[in-house]
Amino acid sequence: MDVLHNLISGFSLILQPDNLFFCFIGVFIGTLIGVLPGIGPVGAMSLLLPATYKVSPLASVIMLAGIYYGAQYGGSTTSILVNIPGESSSVVTCLDGYQMARQGRAGPALGIAAFGSFIAGTLALVGLMLVAPPLASIALRFGPPEYFSLMCLGLTILIYLASGSVIRAIMMAAFGVILGCIGQDPETGSSRFVFGVPDLLDGIGLAPLVMGLFGISEVFLNIEQSLKSGRILETKIKGLLPNWQDWKDSIKPILRGSVLGFFLGILPGGGAVISSFASYAVEKKVSKHPEMFGKGTIEGVAGPESANNAASEGAFVPLLTLGIPPNVVMALLLGALMIHGITPGPLLIPKHPEIFWGVIASMYIGNAMLLVLNLPLIGMWVQVLKVPYKILFPLILLFCLIGAYSINNSTFDVAIMMVFGVLGYLMRKYKFEGAPMVLAFVLGPMLENSLRQSLLLSDGSFLIFFTRPISAGGMIVTLLMLISCIIPAFRKKREEIPMEEVE
Amino acid sequence: MRAHHRVGSIFWLVIGIYITISAYRLGLGSFRQPGPGFIFFLMALLLIILSAIDLRTTFIGKSKSEKEKPEAPLWKGARWPKVLIVLVGISIYNYVFNFLGFLLSTFLLMIFLFKAVEPTKWWVSVLASIITILLSFGIFKLWLKVPFPIGVLGF
Repeated sequence: MDVLHNLISGFSLILQPDNLFFCFIGVFIGTLIGVLPGIGPVGAMSLLLPATYKVSPLASVIMLAGIYYGAQYGGSTTSILVNIPGESSSVVTCLDGYQMARQGRAGPALGIAAFGSFIAGTLALVGLMLVAPPLASIALRFGPPEYFSLMCLGLTILIYLASGSVIRAIMMAAFGVILGCIGQDPETGSSRFVFGVPDLLDGIGLAPLVMGLFGISEVFLNIEQSLKSGRILETKIKGLLPNWQDWKDSIKPILRGSVLGFFLGILPGGGAVISSFASYAVEKKVSKHPEMFGKGTIEGVAGPESANNAASEGAFVPLLTLGIPPNVVMALLLGALMIHGITPGPLLIPKHPEIFWGVIASMYIGNAMLLVLNLPLIGMWVQVLKVPYKILFPLILLFCLIGAYSINNSTFDVAIMMVFGVLGYLMRKYKFEGAPMVLAFVLGPMLENSLRQSLLLSDGSFLIFFTRPISAGGMIVTLLMLISCIIPAFRKKREEIPMEEVE
Repeated sequence: MRAHHRVGSIFWLVIGIYITISAYRLGLGSFRQPGPGFIFFLMALLLIILSAIDLRTTFIGKSKSEKEKPEAPLWKGARWPKVLIVLVGISIYNYVFNFLGFLLSTFLLMIFLFKAVEPTKWWVSVLASIITILLSFGIFKLWLKVPFPIGVLGF
């Protein structure tokens, strides 16, 4: 009854006009930046952070949270229609979503992405509300070895999903870790691979890297081909409501994606990204027709889109209950709360129940707003995306350029983005995948810290990863997955399943 | 295709070797107390081993899939000079951005992009450039308060 009582008080707060307005602004901007390629929630939230100084702590968190989960909704639109993921968590949606669009089924793909996101978002909220306290106590027991093995597992899942050579996917993951660790050493303070460039001391930014690898390289590949056969013009939207068969095919992936996404979202290290890829892997594995994945099957859209939305809400668990931001976006939310003198952590719920329950209630309202907003908005964005590519590509480039510049108001980030744009273009030409590199880049610093701390704890013994149950479980699954890629029988089966990367 | 495959493997092999040497110089520490170069060394070593294996596969007989479906030449028919032109244009834009200011440099870049890749009528290029500039200025400068450089001409 306490939960119900608290939730009602949360709703009474969120239904105040001011809070309702900020919730709407948040989800609207979130959808907008999710739809626009090259501008991510991190950039938008960073830009809007100063704007939250003058509003109440609850309103500021409601708005910033709205941008985050709103972007998960909007990110799918560009993935499906243009094959450019609006967000990194929507990368996997390109695989089947874009293929569906090419087959003239963009409508059901967009529709199921929105409905799936809504269902998953709502289910994840129930999960967040009910299981946050016990999960927090379990997560409290996690030490560096557990984090290390879970991150290894996340990376392995991605490598397992690699379309071509596993060897090349692992190579990209290794290079991603290297890129992620560039900058000051957190322990000794020594600079690593900065080449005398002060801007590199804080490391390479995630946004320029992702915008370059996925956004700019995509534009380059399109320029390279004849622009007259514009991909966007080929896309036709016929009815956004999925039919009965679509629902039948999608409902289980949505439910599985919701559960998987929620639990993976709780774990540190880009939960929304990992969960979308993990959901794709799960759906491919349980499907009766895995060979259809990558060719435009609706399960390949429904599962990952549900998972990334559930994960974006699951990510609130460690932040609101432990004070640990599991990703950059949550770190920004942490910053917003700290500005108002509120420290997220185990004492947040007893000391500031209005924040915890207000945010939860706002997500219910926000999810409903997003559903109403997204489906009509799709039509508007389709009109925008129907502009010929020779007119559209300069706009995409400009949004990427300004987006990269606006992160730190520095042309250095623009240069970094262009470097990765060229690298991404060449990688695609030479059949190297970008996704393992990006995930490894995000996890790199955490991976390094947890590895070093684990070795310190174990006095230099790698056995520590196998002597603790959770860590051992993660490592064993990781090893089994890697071995399955090497054993000929498994490898053959894996190769039969087309896993095209974003093309 | 094999030559292209080799180029990719050799590129990462060279990168791996460079990082391994640099990481060693940074200091590896020990297993008990890993140093700042430890993770770089491990990852670069992995990169070297795997790129060497990848390179080796190009010297072994053709795979079944390769025989059945020979891949198209990598650069044949590709309009890579267009990519190069755009890249040069953006690099110049980035270089003069602070000097010329947002409005002028972006206007010039837009005109360049509209004209350089596919021939677009002048009036379309100019109109689309002006609309783009006004839109992006409104969103980023006026609404999101991104402090764009004013530039030497004062606007």
